[in-house]
Amino acid sequence: MAKNYPVLSWPAVPTPTPDDVYKGESDKAKEYALWLEDNLRQSKNFEKPEALSNIRVLDCTSMMIIGHWCSSLFAELGAEVIMVEPPGGDPLRKLSPFGRKEYMFKDTHTQEEVGARFLAEARSKQSITLDLTKAEGREILKNLAAHADVIIENAPPGQWDEWGIGYRQLSQINPRLVYCWVGQLGQWGPLKDKPGNLDPTAQAACGFVHGTGAPVAFGGTPTRSGWWMCDQVGGTGAAIGIMTALNYREEVSGRGQFVEATGAAGVIRILDYNWGWHGVDGSIRPRYGNWDLAINIYAVNPCKDGQIMVGGGHDRLWYRIWRTVGKDKPDVEQHIVEDPNLKEVTGRLPHYRQVETYTSLCEWMKDTTRSEAETKLQAEEVASGGVSFIDEVCEFPHYKYRGHLEVIDDVNYGKVLIGASAFIGQRTPGRVKWIGRPVAQDNEDVYRRLLGFTRENLDNLKAKGVI
Amino acid sequence: MATPSFEEYCRDTFDPKKIFSKPEPLKGKRFLSCTQYILGPSCANYLAELGAEVIKIELPRRGEPMRHTTPFNEPKLYPLSRWLPEMGTGLGFFGANHNEYFLSVDFHKPEGQAIVRMLANKSDGMVENYRAGTFDRWGIGYRQLSQTNPRIIYQWLGGFGGWGPGRKRASYDILGQAQGGCFSVTGWPADKGGLPSKQTIWIMDYWGGMMGTFQMLACMYWRDNISGLGNFMEYSQVQGAQRHLSDCIALFGRHGLVPQRWGNWDTLLSVHGIVKCGKSSYPNSKNPQELEQGYILVSAYKDDDFAKLMKFIKKDDLAKKFATHEERVKAESQYEIYAALEDWAKDKTKEQARELLDKQGINNQPVWNSKEVSNTEHFHMRGELEWLDDPTFGDLQSQGPSFHLSESPPRHKWAFKPVGADNEYILGKLCGFSKTKMAEMEADAVI
Repeated sequence: MAKNYPVLSWPAVPTPTPDDVYKGESDKAKEYALWLEDNLRQSKNFEKPEALSNIRVLDCTSMMIIGHWCSSLFAELGAEVIMVEPPGGDPLRKLSPFGRKEYMFKDTHTQEEVGARFLAEARSKQSITLDLTKAEGREILKNLAAHADVIIENAPPGQWDEWGIGYRQLSQINPRLVYCWVGQLGQWGPLKDKPGNLDPTAQAACGFVHGTGAPVAFGGTPTRSGWWMCDQVGGTGAAIGIMTALNYREEVSGRGQFVEATGAAGVIRILDYNWGWHGVDGSIRPRYGNWDLAINIYAVNPCKDGQIMVGGGHDRLWYRIWRTVGKDKPDVEQHIVEDPNLKEVTGRLPHYRQVETYTSLCEWMKDTTRSEAETKLQAEEVASGGVSFIDEVCEFPHYKYRGHLEVIDDVNYGKVLIGASAFIGQRTPGRVKWIGRPVAQDNEDVYRRLLGFTRENLDNLKAKGVI
Repeated sequence: MATPSFEEYCRDTFDPKKIFSKPEPLKGKRFLSCTQYILGPSCANYLAELGAEVIKIELPRRGEPMRHTTPFNEPKLYPLSRWLPEMGTGLGFFGANHNEYFLSVDFHKPEGQAIVRMLANKSDGMVENYRAGTFDRWGIGYRQLSQTNPRIIYQWLGGFGGWGPGRKRASYDILGQAQGGCFSVTGWPADKGGLPSKQTIWIMDYWGGMMGTFQMLACMYWRDNISGLGNFMEYSQVQGAQRHLSDCIALFGRHGLVPQRWGNWDTLLSVHGIVKCGKSSYPNSKNPQELEQGYILVSAYKDDDFAKLMKFIKKDDLAKKFATHEERVKAESQYEIYAALEDWAKDKTKEQARELLDKQGINNQPVWNSKEVSNTEHFHMRGELEWLDDPTFGDLQSQGPSFHLSESPPRHKWAFKPVGADNEYILGKLCGFSKTKMAEMEADAVI
């Protein structure tokens, strides 16, 4: 059944213009910002070269975001990324929130549907299919590997090695190949991944879930991230590893290497002082809700119409925050600034002092909306901002102005609003060219271009279910 | 000789004990880190893990603010610096400054700016996260440094970026998470008593730094193999949140959906959620972190796994009722299924639940706290956690690098050093300053 979904008109509120933004500022005051606009504006991206345009990546991962996230970063900086999917496509394509088909995105030519989770990380990639469970498929992969700079895979540990297409074998065929395995806990070691392990396995195993959410005393439980966070952090780690290996190949060794990145390793790396703290005195990092164990004021707390973040642990900002509060509630300001225990930055950190601080702050915020509080605090140059929902994020003037969000008018999927490439740069900025491809759209192009397949070859392979 | 098994091969290839016998991928590269807090420092730190010489420049005496940040003001590592031996560095600094050389320079003074210029002319790149335009005003920004060093790769990182309506706004990690949209999809829904929630780590900082590092490495590739030219990049932390939430944004743009919180379950897969176990694993502990009930991730989203799981917990009726994934991933089905799982787990510890699920071949993962993770052999064997024999602070447990390389692996040499610890080494080696000159500069608080 053909059904046209209404495309929301975005932006609902017009994006500010440069005239709106820099109105009333002296030439001197706006000169640097205008230089940045000249050099960084994404509208000029396609006039500029791409940093990685001579790199070819085969993304052979499926059912996880970690590999797709990693290859997205390469695609944004110009690499040719080919997704090698099982015939029928990566099962991730079929996933939609709560299984709701009406939330999927339809290819206008084939009517094939794809979920947002997959589509968001299919940016600028090509799609081919190949059945690696068949010997013939594996032979084709070996031939593709000869043309690749990078292969990323996430099969169960040792699967590709057993199949004769692991790093040990492919590096014989193409010694310059950078081969990356991605997963949750690892492809080796006592807790190596079992088939089907997905994020949030790594979130639970690395201490992240235990540390996120409110303490029991505040009615909280350990909490996972709302998205597949370990995949996205681990995938970024994988991208750094692969990029390092490519640079090392060019500059030093002339050879590729074996890279491994996991969601757990990525998040363990960035779990700040967890490990140092436990090592020093045996402490177990507690959950602390929307407050911070190490900085006060630095928290999200409730206000009249939601929640708002206020931050400023050091004296300069600390007193500005209380001055702002004091304009409405002088007694609250007086209570805080006269408390001798809160005079020193470090004295503000113990738990009961944080309780005192935030109880006082909320005394002011409970009568203040996010927007009012933000305006008042920003007048004093204090970092503050309301907790924003996705609709608010998409309409936030600063984000719209800077192109954090962009509409891709896609030949297959129509207009899709996405989070743009975060790689803003002068000479080789990141960019998104198309939002995604239906399954196997590029079979003919890729197999012909790289392996010289004829129409007959392709028909045969298709009939046998190899592609 | 027999071919080693894949497991043996990997254990040997990625063995952390062999890392120091392998070359460093960024040997001979030098970067300046004019950074504070986490976003900028971590970006430079990842380059230092790869063997680059990273010179961290801090304000003299007290150093950067993160040194004065530590959980509940308790753990510190002494001394802060040779000038302030009675003070320590807080653990907030830990994890974002490994392997670096520590130089103290007051950027506000012309003599200090001259030092930055001398160093930048001899560097491959620079990481900087002061307010946008500050370094430009001081004559040590990209526009000036690229005149004398056109190969410099200059990565600025910050909150809102240097242009646009919010360009003057201050930002921190938690603000990026809050106003960027991350809070809105994390935590339990209101009917389960939840609020929009923060990710415990300073994720928009630490992960944003990774994004900066990746872009710098790609720019080095372009410079060294293609163009010979440097580059200027701007990374905005609030933008990072929109990059993370691209699927939510697409759902809003096409369908007008505003994705909400779904607690410890999953909107895309069922069963694939974290379940409360009724019993604490450490009922006799004095630590509330150990006394609390345990939690375990249970993952059985495929039809046969789900049927097996429901049969095992004696809920065959649910197996029949929700026989397809389409049925069981619906919101109302998830409420029913997880209630049954929590009922099953209510008289178990997370370890008991794991043992039973393992026997059934059901994927699971207990929620581990930082002590349990620290005691997990797997992570130490792989070098993702390690004990550093730190030259200044002694034995320290540290995180390892976030990825493994077979030929030129990243590594950690020391956690960090006191403020200005490498002044003589760096200024002697790269600026040719004499002992007398350094003493004068120190007296004038330039260094």
